[in-house]
Amino acid sequence: MNQFEFLRYVNLGQYLPTNSWIHRLDVRARILAAVFLLLSLTLTGRPVALVIAMFGLLALLSLARIPWAYAFRNLLPPLPFLLLLAVLQVFFNPRPVDTDILIFRWHWISVSMMSLLAGVTLLLRFSALILTLSLATYCISTSEMIHGLESLLSPLQRVGIPTRMFVMMIQVMLRFLPFLALAAERIAKAQASRGAQWGSRRGSLIQRARQVVPLLVPLFLTGLHRAENLALAMEARGYDSESPHTSLFVMHFSWRDATAIIMVFVFSLALLLV
Amino acid sequence: MSALIEIENLSFQYPVGGAQPIQALRGISLRIENGEYVALIGANGSGKTTLARHLNALLLPSVGSVRVNGMDTRDPRHRQRIRSIVGMVMQYPEDQIVATGVEEDVAFGPENLGLPVGEIRRRIEESLKAVGMWELRHRPPYLLSAGQIQRVALAGILALRPRCIVFDEATSMLDPLGRRTVLSLIDQLHREGITIITVTHFMNEAARAGRVVVLHQGQVVMDDVPEKVFSHVQELEEIGLGLPATVQTARALRAVLLDLPDRLLRVDDLIQALPTYPGGRAVKAELSSPKSTSPLGQPALVEVHGLEHTYLLDTPLAQRALEGVNFYVSDGSAHGILGSTGSGKSTLLQHLNGLLLPQSGQVRVGNFLLHHRDTDLQAVRCFAGLVFQFPETQFFEQYVGDEIAYGLRLLKRTKERIRTDVRWAMEIVGLDFERYKDRLTFTLSGGESRKVALASILALRPRLLLLDEPLAGLDPLSRHDLLIKLKGLQREGMTVILSSHHMEEVAELTDELTVFHQGRDVLRGGVREVFDRVDELRTLGLEPPVAVRVAAALRQRGWVLPPGLIRPQELADQVARLQMGSHHESV
Repeated sequence: MNQFEFLRYVNLGQYLPTNSWIHRLDVRARILAAVFLLLSLTLTGRPVALVIAMFGLLALLSLARIPWAYAFRNLLPPLPFLLLLAVLQVFFNPRPVDTDILIFRWHWISVSMMSLLAGVTLLLRFSALILTLSLATYCISTSEMIHGLESLLSPLQRVGIPTRMFVMMIQVMLRFLPFLALAAERIAKAQASRGAQWGSRRGSLIQRARQVVPLLVPLFLTGLHRAENLALAMEARGYDSESPHTSLFVMHFSWRDATAIIMVFVFSLALLLV
Repeated sequence: MSALIEIENLSFQYPVGGAQPIQALRGISLRIENGEYVALIGANGSGKTTLARHLNALLLPSVGSVRVNGMDTRDPRHRQRIRSIVGMVMQYPEDQIVATGVEEDVAFGPENLGLPVGEIRRRIEESLKAVGMWELRHRPPYLLSAGQIQRVALAGILALRPRCIVFDEATSMLDPLGRRTVLSLIDQLHREGITIITVTHFMNEAARAGRVVVLHQGQVVMDDVPEKVFSHVQELEEIGLGLPATVQTARALRAVLLDLPDRLLRVDDLIQALPTYPGGRAVKAELSSPKSTSPLGQPALVEVHGLEHTYLLDTPLAQRALEGVNFYVSDGSAHGILGSTGSGKSTLLQHLNGLLLPQSGQVRVGNFLLHHRDTDLQAVRCFAGLVFQFPETQFFEQYVGDEIAYGLRLLKRTKERIRTDVRWAMEIVGLDFERYKDRLTFTLSGGESRKVALASILALRPRLLLLDEPLAGLDPLSRHDLLIKLKGLQREGMTVILSSHHMEEVAELTDELTVFHQGRDVLRGGVREVFDRVDELRTLGLEPPVAVRVAAALRQRGWVLPPGLIRPQELADQVARLQMGSHHESV
């Protein structure tokens, strides 16, 4: 593992253009469907609902022509953390209820049916959430996401909220994140070649904080500099957030998209009600 | 009919908070007609970019006026029109890409003009095809090379169907192949009737234009055809400029080949004009190569065996950067690393001071074995100092002295020691200690800040100096100045390894070369022998120095020149010798 590879930590989501039925849906339908699913997964309390949701997600992955194993790989990095949380949940369940069945007790540690269930629920919930997010990134490219958001938010334009500017900001931010990671990497390397000890944990907190200054000052300056260049380039190509503009993307909302949204909506609602 | 661009008595000053504003342009008057090809040259800080930004209303005159197609740039109603007439391609390729996809980025301009979708689609196709990027339109921009991104940026401008395009140092960040592609695109656009204005530090690029405007301290000092401008050698040198390599070579040759026509600007023209060998028979006995100054045969200071490196290993974005690289540098030599963008040059350099550790293979630098996990990396980094590309963008201290002392302070040297080391480093790069130590870093010129960056590494007294594109972005005079400093360092026993895209620089400074291609070392040897392999270098996307190409052409015309002529003067000397030989024979 390399101590300087900051880009590794910037995961912009891997869009997988499998051109499946889901990919061909209107992007707004895909965004809304993802939002419904995420909401219901967060709000539902029943483990049964989560199990059903898992089966639903597997079906959606197949429909999107994404190999299950590939999607499940995303669960691996946070897994130790999730397991730890689940274990804590199982062993330190705060208040045992009367109806609960006690399985195991040792001093102040107790495991009951309820706490076991709570642990499993937590694991399931987070796995389902991660799978949904992965599915969304596999099926929605960043540019589709931007145009979809612009269209979904466009009613706000009429109320006087500058949505184009807002969407432009998201777009530029997405462009800039990998750049900032790369710039930080370069600067850290340059400092290291001048004797700075990157990655070492020696020294007091203040000393370590002082080490960051040589990184932040040039990072901030290059960031500003590049933002200025980008602004100039945009201006030179006639950008003006207020004047009317057209968009390359034309979206067609058809009955297929409507059906998809309704189906996902009903499914999400059902998860909340079981 | 009025000219495309009319500039009248233009002055411009940058406001500076709480201080005197900086006067960037002083009373400039220019007329640029439709269909012209104009090069704008001048030293760092002469006002080229400032002037260029006035041409499409990115900056507005403090005094005087700029009119595009008769429209005053100060009138906000004309701004959109003006920007679709005068397009601009800028220096840093990736700073101009707005969108996350190639097609969308090209669409950005037409979208802003409010064109209908069908028309936008047509223009995307037309302009991407014009720059040869149509096949790659679905690639995400971060997977494109700098040259390809620059072509996308150009397509984004072409989609506005401009009548004039300003190229603001648009080739300076590109490798030789990328530069060649963009330059031939410029020529093609010019032939199609588009007015071209190019701002450049490279005299050979300026020589391609039909008219050269020279700026000095915000004023126009010359404005003429390139043949005339480049005959004013003295004046150009005084304002920090030089001659194109072709002109230099032609001048050196004209001293011995008296029939060579005057005012040759392009390599091809020069090669065309070369005479065949006058004497009948070759005098092989007198063949002797110029003395190689290379300390080849010295023990190796750097030894790399079978080095492999993959970025973002174990992620879907994994990218192979080095594949089984072998690399040797003799002690005390100056070693050049050549190769196009992405060939692995920077990755290799970063292995040599322990910033990257070998994933497999062996790296020895001096007595340090970097493939051993317990190597003291800080000691390696003091032994091998690495100067990054554009090091001045990494300054963070206010004063020059503190900036240079940073590394020494981290090493907990005594105050006395720090002072002497900083003074020593500054003197080596040619900065006066007393005059510069309390200068504010942001007030330095391009050449000065590059020297400060170099001094900040030298202060650690490395044995091995690693330089990534050390002369990029400097004007000819600063380049020359720094080159002499680097040569001096090498003479004092420091081993220097540098990567560069500019062959004439490499020919000036180095004695050994390694050429990289797609992560492998493909050519290695003395600088003279590597440069003589003209055809092989071409297939690798590199262009040998002009003198080498001219020597090759002379050989084809019967001149029995010794191999390994890489500098204009050497070439001229050898030609003179042959001429003497042929005279003797005919007498």
